[in-house]
Amino acid sequence: MQGHDDQEPTVHIRELKKDSVNFVLKNVDLAFANSVRRVMMADIPTVAIDMVEIEINTSVLPDEFIAHRLGMVPLGSSNCDEAIRNTRDCTCLAGCDSCSIMLLLDVQCNDHSTMDVTSHHLDVVPPGTPGTWSQEGDSEAGEELSKRGEGFGRPVGKDDGSPPILICKIRKGQHLKLKCVAKKGIAKEHAKWSPCSAVSFEYDPYNKLRHTTHWFESDERGEWPLGPNAQEEEPPRDGEPFDFNAQPRTFYFDVETDGSLGPQEVVMKGLAELQTKLANLILGLKSQPELDMLTSADPHSNGHATTDTWGGDGGGGAAGWGPAAGGGGGWGASSPARGGASTGGWGSASPANSGGGSSWGGGGAASSQGWGSPNQQANGWNV
Amino acid sequence: MNAPNRYELYVLEDGEKPVEITEDTKIPNAATIKIVKQDHTLGNMLRAQLLSMPQILFAGYKVPHPLHPYFIIKIQTDGTVTPQEVLEQACTKLIGTLASLEAKFKREFSFKDVEGAVGGVGSNMAHEDPYGGAGGGAWSGGRDYLDF
Repeated sequence: MQGHDDQEPTVHIRELKKDSVNFVLKNVDLAFANSVRRVMMADIPTVAIDMVEIEINTSVLPDEFIAHRLGMVPLGSSNCDEAIRNTRDCTCLAGCDSCSIMLLLDVQCNDHSTMDVTSHHLDVVPPGTPGTWSQEGDSEAGEELSKRGEGFGRPVGKDDGSPPILICKIRKGQHLKLKCVAKKGIAKEHAKWSPCSAVSFEYDPYNKLRHTTHWFESDERGEWPLGPNAQEEEPPRDGEPFDFNAQPRTFYFDVETDGSLGPQEVVMKGLAELQTKLANLILGLKSQPELDMLTSADPHSNGHATTDTWGGDGGGGAAGWGPAAGGGGGWGASSPARGGASTGGWGSASPANSGGGSSWGGGGAASSQGWGSPNQQANGWNV
Repeated sequence: MNAPNRYELYVLEDGEKPVEITEDTKIPNAATIKIVKQDHTLGNMLRAQLLSMPQILFAGYKVPHPLHPYFIIKIQTDGTVTPQEVLEQACTKLIGTLASLEAKFKREFSFKDVEGAVGGVGSNMAHEDPYGGAGGGAWSGGRDYLDF
């Protein structure tokens, strides 16, 4: 692996289409290329329907079935970093314009023929419509709304006349009426948030490195036809000795998106996300001794006046006040931010939580259900 | 009901430390570093970068259990730098590589934009029924048991 370090990585885009990009990445490690692939598939935020409240469903499909299908519908998610908050970071209780998008579907069949209910029937409720969210006015409006593009949250393909996604078929007299809430997330949580529908990744088209074994009946080359990427590399000569030190250095990618993000945005966001991960790790390594002292000297961010009982012991590791505790979350139990910040409210059973009547769940403010279900779904299906 | 929030797979909890360093007591210049809320994406990349650095004697990582969202990376150096420092150097180097790659991607994409390669997809088939003629299933008109 050594000796390659002086070479800079290069990239060549072979084809760029509306929803896919094909490129060749050279002079990088296998591990590096694979991380790029992984991060594009699993770590880029998009929006997808996360909660469905079904009012009328007289179709032949059960509610869960429809809710799951709705979750898979790709929604326009351009500039997702700035245009929408995570509900867990939002100041609202269950959902607001800054962290959620409401979509409505109301279709009834009155004809003598089967009717398709498709993704084109989903209508976005424009942000700011009164009565959209159950608890209005308890959230701090951010500048998220102004950062949203035109197609943000709309089902992909609704505006350009491409064929819609079938959700259900209904016959005469059947009715489907429901309310969806779309939220931001990443594909590590659920694959519906992946911006990629397929990422092809290939190296060593001639199998010179013997990372795989080709099973064959009589003729290996005849039974394993070469792919198009083989034209980019030199074919092995007959009887060439096996180079056991060789490392793969050229990778052929084809990133195909589901339309929620463009291919360019997926690639660029992926690289940025990897850098963020590394930068956070550096920060974590550096802050081992110093940051604990910093936080103990900085009482304003956590609602306690006596911070020295907590953060005092330098590098000891007991300090519960990491850098993440800054944003008004923390243990300040009676503040309304506590109930809103956590959709789950797992750790809030501590005696420090004096707010609200219920001792479990989301600090009393979130749910009247006593045991506080981890997700604040009223009746809906958690797809 | 009792399931932990799914985002706990990748979001640090309040006050949770992103890294935890344990120095090895038996092997010189070695440390085991636990990196929380990260997975193979970061682990394998770091391992490969560390192995390409001359000061490293050993570097390896593992995700001990697929349901536990952390990985551990073991590093042994030749003594000129501590494992912690060398990991930091590896991160910085990777960020540099990624930044230069990002610039190259930006250049390549801007060329493609000029060429106007971004074409419409599927516009020619917009008028066909994508589900194979669902409209053909009209019932034989007349009375229906729903028409009361």
